[in-house]
Amino acid sequence: MEFTWMIGAEAGAGTAVTGRTLTKVFTRGGFHVVGYPEYPSLIRGGHNTYQIRVSDKKIHSPVKKNDVVVALNRNGIIFNRDSVKKGGVLIYDSGVDAAGLKMPEGVDIFPVPIRQIIEENKLDQRMANTVTVGISLGLIGYPMDDFFLILEKEFSRKSREIVDLNIKAAKAGFDYAKKNFKGNFKFTLKPISREKKRMIIGGNEAFAMGAVAGGMKLFAAYPMTPASSVLHYLAEKERHFNIVVKQTEDEIAAIEYAIGASYAGVRASTSTSGGGFSLMVESLGLAALSETPIVVFLAQRTGPSTGMPTWTEQADLRFALHSSQGEFLRVILAPGTVDEEFYLGAESFNLADKYQIPVILLSDKFLSESHFSADRFEWEKVRIERGEILSSIRKKLAPMERFARYKLTKSGISPRVFPGTPEGMHVATSYEHREDSFSTEDFEMRASMVEKRERKQKLLEKEIPLPKIYGKKDAPISIICWGSQVLPAVDALPLLEKGGIHANVIHFSYLYPLPKKIRKLLKSAKHTILFENNSTGQFAGMLKEFLSFRPNVLALKYDGRQFFPEEIAEAVENAHKQKFRRKKVRVVDMGEFEYYNPAAYSEVV
Amino acid sequence: MAELNDFTVKEKPQWCPGCGDFAINMAIKSALQEAGVEPHNSVIVSGIGCSGKMPHFVRAYGFESLHGRVLPPASGIHLANHELTVIGVGGDGDGYGIGMGHFIHIMRRNYDLTYIVHDNQVYGLTTGQTAPTSQKGMKTKTTPYGNLEEPVHPVPLALTMGATYIARGFAGDMKHLASLILGGIRHKGFALIDVLQPCVTFNKLNTYDYWRQRVYKLEEQGHNPSDYAKALEKANEDWKTNYEKIPIGLFYKEDKPTYGSGLPQLNVPLVKHGLKPVGLEEAMDEFI
Ligand SMILES: Cc1ncc(C[n+]2csc(CCOP(=O)(O)OP(=O)(O)O)c2C)c(N)n1
Ligand code: SF4
Repeated sequence: MEFTWMIGAEAGAGTAVTGRTLTKVFTRGGFHVVGYPEYPSLIRGGHNTYQIRVSDKKIHSPVKKNDVVVALNRNGIIFNRDSVKKGGVLIYDSGVDAAGLKMPEGVDIFPVPIRQIIEENKLDQRMANTVTVGISLGLIGYPMDDFFLILEKEFSRKSREIVDLNIKAAKAGFDYAKKNFKGNFKFTLKPISREKKRMIIGGNEAFAMGAVAGGMKLFAAYPMTPASSVLHYLAEKERHFNIVVKQTEDEIAAIEYAIGASYAGVRASTSTSGGGFSLMVESLGLAALSETPIVVFLAQRTGPSTGMPTWTEQADLRFALHSSQGEFLRVILAPGTVDEEFYLGAESFNLADKYQIPVILLSDKFLSESHFSADRFEWEKVRIERGEILSSIRKKLAPMERFARYKLTKSGISPRVFPGTPEGMHVATSYEHREDSFSTEDFEMRASMVEKRERKQKLLEKEIPLPKIYGKKDAPISIICWGSQVLPAVDALPLLEKGGIHANVIHFSYLYPLPKKIRKLLKSAKHTILFENNSTGQFAGMLKEFLSFRPNVLALKYDGRQFFPEEIAEAVENAHKQKFRRKKVRVVDMGEFEYYNPAAYSEVV
Repeated sequence: MAELNDFTVKEKPQWCPGCGDFAINMAIKSALQEAGVEPHNSVIVSGIGCSGKMPHFVRAYGFESLHGRVLPPASGIHLANHELTVIGVGGDGDGYGIGMGHFIHIMRRNYDLTYIVHDNQVYGLTTGQTAPTSQKGMKTKTTPYGNLEEPVHPVPLALTMGATYIARGFAGDMKHLASLILGGIRHKGFALIDVLQPCVTFNKLNTYDYWRQRVYKLEEQGHNPSDYAKALEKANEDWKTNYEKIPIGLFYKEDKPTYGSGLPQLNVPLVKHGLKPVGLEEAMDEFI
């Protein structure tokens, strides 16, 4: 059982608020829910949408077609009408000038006088969102008690009167739909269970909580879409979590605050997107050479340069891998789900601390800003491992001597000591240095220090888990992907099954280092097709370089959207038909789901 | 209490003989000693430049950052553990050039830390290019026909940006400089100490003699450092008199709440907080 709903309206009209509320209603009803916003980089005037997919089975990704579309303006009708399934419903605000617009065929058209409903019930114009939710629930006969509870929670801080008015607005919308909808659409939905109290949460918030669970104490950042909501969320909650959150003057300052705080002994992090990461790059090397742990959350968007700021891509992988001058060890992680955002988010601080290196978490607009139902995070199970830290030093330093902070150890890991610890005085430095941290240009020492830092990789690689397999281990076809693309990939599996194609998904969330042990797993896959949200196959290149592995087919998408499950299924079917002949295929979105391209429609005014 | 020797390292500083940096090094050590700070409770944060070598020559904790990036890590260290005495040290190129953005913004925040700028009007480590504080007309490697730009005036800039302790020292008067640094350490808030520092190798204009003939001490003229209007007048005196009269000493001092006083999270230094996260259960409830 599945239901897909989407709202389309002018930017600023509250599609996100309406969508978020509905995702909460359905999640409370025991459903699995995905909420997916799309919006251009404009505050007003552009076209925004929010899609909700609801199912009684586990789902992961938005899809291309909707059962119900709610259009609140003329463009909403134009852009979104083609995404309504046959037999579905197109609801539109009849206050909108829809004259002369071609309406889709085989679809119930349901005009709703939102303004009139508001006026007749003596409501506030600002309650249009609540009325819209009411109408949508009325259409499918979904009980409203959860919606009322949400309204209560949301507005009770303001006043009783506002709560009551909103409840009235919801009922007015609900009743209007019940009474006036006369179409063929007969779908109804009822809550399945109220026992499981799942959350509905975005990738960015999940990372933010993971960071807190991992003991992060200082977070510094500069706003940049699609990373900003990490900063917004943590800023709002800084007192609640008892941490310090700082918006700095730029991204250079942000990462340097975090590095400074980490040197002084607390776990610290920053978040940004590609442009901001470009500014952080020099400091990444400072963290590496001074062996100061640091976690950077990098939410990718469509580049290069300003690119398409509110759209998605996975094109910063090579950048993350090679950023900053010189050679140094780093870890690159790419969570694929909100659970992984949380648990890997927490784990990234362990890796940074234990190996005293930079850890970069790659997210992207798609995962960062979409919302997914998820079980509560088990934060108490998160282990905090700080690595080798000396809380006191027994041996007294000789006069005029410094502590040997960069001791040439067998493992390559030299115990850290924080300022404030007697006998631990040393310099954390961006220059090459001796064991006692004094800067040096002695060739032998330089070589020893390079090797010391390099040695850490050996231990680190032991900790890197194998990629995760979704579906049957021995399936004849393996879809390979990394980061967020696991979401549409896993949802493509049942589509393929319908056509008799059995596949599994091999998902990488640990992208670097890539230890040799992974090679065996990849080699055992029969037919492979790798999906990447970029135009050059960056991860394909890494698999070749580090594991000498080449997939049969490489499927790339780089138009600003992630893959949809339908596209993945289609590409796998095609590859299957062509017997997995080695090739590269390019995937671009087709017109039916085109809901932000004014130039493509002559009716747009 | 620590003695001066406790702040001394065995390596000899690698500055040119006669460089003003030696006196700044000595002044920092004696100010720390006099402030009663233990070496392990102080952190010297520097950028890159001749001035940037400072952490290696004070036996304390040190953080040698990147060129222009003194103040952000110093801020991070301070926020993580505000019980430490944090002193930022950098060149004029470092702080008033490439790092100018950080300098402007830190003054709006009034963190409790001290910032010392080796103001030698030239780029030392990179062998003598023009600096943001080079005087107009000055010839350097990159301004062979004379500098066409007006110099940055750090003292009036700091006054208008809200710094709460603003002083100028002279590396030719170590004792006086040390007292200004000591005042900065004791001041609760952001302290700037701009230091006229002769670069004997690359600046043949602003030499020890040049400064000696021109500087005078504000306190000897009865300057009242709580008088903002007077401070501003004094802050502009150097360039307004075409560098005939150059005041040194404390221009301005104001008691204002520090940034940290607005953060209840800092009742206990972050570094002393437990590792166990708080508040996650309630935070998750909000997503239901
Ligand atoms: C990003 C970057 N750009 C340039 C340099 C080269 N560099 C090192 S020190 C310096 C300027 C030094 O002048 P100043 O900051 O005034 O310090 P001084 O050496 O005079 O004490 C420059 C340009 C660098 N290290 N990093
Ligand atoms: S170059 Fe100038 S600033 Fe640098 S050490 Fe020599 S005299 Fe001092």
